[in-house]
Amino acid sequence: MDDGAIQLVDLKKRFGAQEVLRGVNLEIPRGKITVVIGRSGTGKSVLLKILMGLLRPDSGNILLGGQDMTKLGDSALLKMRNRFGMVFQNAALFDSMTIYENIAFPLREHERLKEKELKARVDAALASVGLLEHGHKDPHQLSGGMRKRAAVARALVRKPEFLLYDEPTTGLDPIMTAHVDELIRGTQDSTPGLTSLVISHDMQATLHIADKIAMLFEGQVIFEGTPDDVRTTDNPVVRQFVEGRLEGPIKV
Amino acid sequence: MSGERPLNVVESLGAAVLGVVNDFGSYTKFTAWALWGILRPPYRLRLLIKQMYFVGNQSLSIVLITGAFTGMVFAVQSDFAFGKFGARGLIGSTVVLALTRELGPVLTSLMVNGRVGSAMAAELGTMRVTEQIDALESMAIDPIQYLAAPRIGATILMMPILCAAFDGVGALGVSWVATHVLQVNPGPFFDRMAWFVDPDDIWGGMLKSALFGFIVASVGCWRGYHAKGGAEGVGQATTKAVVAAGVAILVVDYFVTVIMAPLSVNRI
Ligand SMILES: Nc1ncnc2c1ncn2[C@@H]1O[C@H](COP(=O)(O)OP(=O)(O)OP(=O)(O)O)[C@@H](O)[C@H]1O
Ligand SMILES: [Mg+2]
Repeated sequence: MDDGAIQLVDLKKRFGAQEVLRGVNLEIPRGKITVVIGRSGTGKSVLLKILMGLLRPDSGNILLGGQDMTKLGDSALLKMRNRFGMVFQNAALFDSMTIYENIAFPLREHERLKEKELKARVDAALASVGLLEHGHKDPHQLSGGMRKRAAVARALVRKPEFLLYDEPTTGLDPIMTAHVDELIRGTQDSTPGLTSLVISHDMQATLHIADKIAMLFEGQVIFEGTPDDVRTTDNPVVRQFVEGRLEGPIKV
Repeated sequence: MSGERPLNVVESLGAAVLGVVNDFGSYTKFTAWALWGILRPPYRLRLLIKQMYFVGNQSLSIVLITGAFTGMVFAVQSDFAFGKFGARGLIGSTVVLALTRELGPVLTSLMVNGRVGSAMAAELGTMRVTEQIDALESMAIDPIQYLAAPRIGATILMMPILCAAFDGVGALGVSWVATHVLQVNPGPFFDRMAWFVDPDDIWGGMLKSALFGFIVASVGCWRGYHAKGGAEGVGQATTKAVVAAGVAILVVDYFVTVIMAPLSVNRI
């Protein structure tokens, strides 16, 4: 299983009486984009937070290079987070800092760099998302799509092995959506060894950018496959979700 | 509270007590972790200085105005009292004693609470609901150490300075009103003031204000850190922080004053 970057094994998580994840099994392949789809409230964000170590699962394992992340202590977990970059749904840029400082921030905190080296790294990250001339601005001076791009640059700047995107295109206009999708695909294609996990509600974009699609339904992964598999499947749940119909096994 | 039946008194009292106990536990844990964050590396001196500047810059003008007028109004009020038995020379010493020991630390921290505690709760609350705190954590940074430690440290350091400024302008206020408006004889006025007011009064008041500064910043940060639910949640966190810290200052002040009182009795 050399190409299996991350393996989720029977992950369970409940909040009080609410069972959110009821045994999630999923392989996230190395060097590819995996998109997780599913209805609002099925636990996609919870899954991402568990992956990031921000939440602990009740049971199950997350295998990463033969190591079980769920068994790590706090300091090992902190180290592990250094291998991840996360793009938050609303970008989550620090609004007390300029765009440049936002992107420099993870480098300043974790890597001892000379100011010149730091600037080279940050400028390269800014340029890769087409924001080189906007580094001096505050986050609120950018448009939504520009903020999202800055967030991608910030997640990328330390060259993580894993990039997690939580609904990167929700709430953007169609053109901006296409733009951000292009950015995700472009980043993937230009970064060897990068493993991306995207959460999305947007079926069209998903079919466009994904190498692999997994559908989360009632706390389990009920479908895994390529975009073509999704287009041709006769799984009624997937069909209903993809086509956005009211009738079917998924009840509102 | 599903609305099946109304809660009886015992149940709602129980829920209230449970809420207070939960809050206390959460506050204690948060604050202990923040204090530990001050002591251990990484030390973020730049953030500390930035916060000290913020605290001072936000509050200095209101603290000076409050101090001056508190001194002035107390001069008038104590003239009313002391004038009845011809002891107007005591106005200065009495008012300055009250300022340095009590009014300085308490009023300064209440003003700073309104200005700085609320700003801290709002800022951290906004960071929470906009996922900026999650973002910090996802970058392998301890958000409590990064956000709360410098704010608490800065407020502890700045509050005594602001308190001393309050005391200073308060003393000027009372002196000016007494000698220029009430026409008290300046000689005995300043003699008594110097004789009655001990440096320990000033230091004690400043020390108390440092404790109040700790309360203001820790409560503000704690409430903001745990804010939920968008702009409304941030507003609630801010209000709750200001009210809780304000009440806590007055309650803690009583107990600290009672504990500190024996220390200053024997010198008179
Ligand atoms: N910290 C928490 N405490 C309690 N319940 C939670 C918590 N986080 C999530 N939940 C619950 O878990 C369920 C899944 O939430 P999650 O945010 O993962 O949904 P989602 O699949 O990401 O939905 P969306 O597509 O709308 O973002 C929801 O019902 C939510 O109420
Ligand atoms: Mg979500």
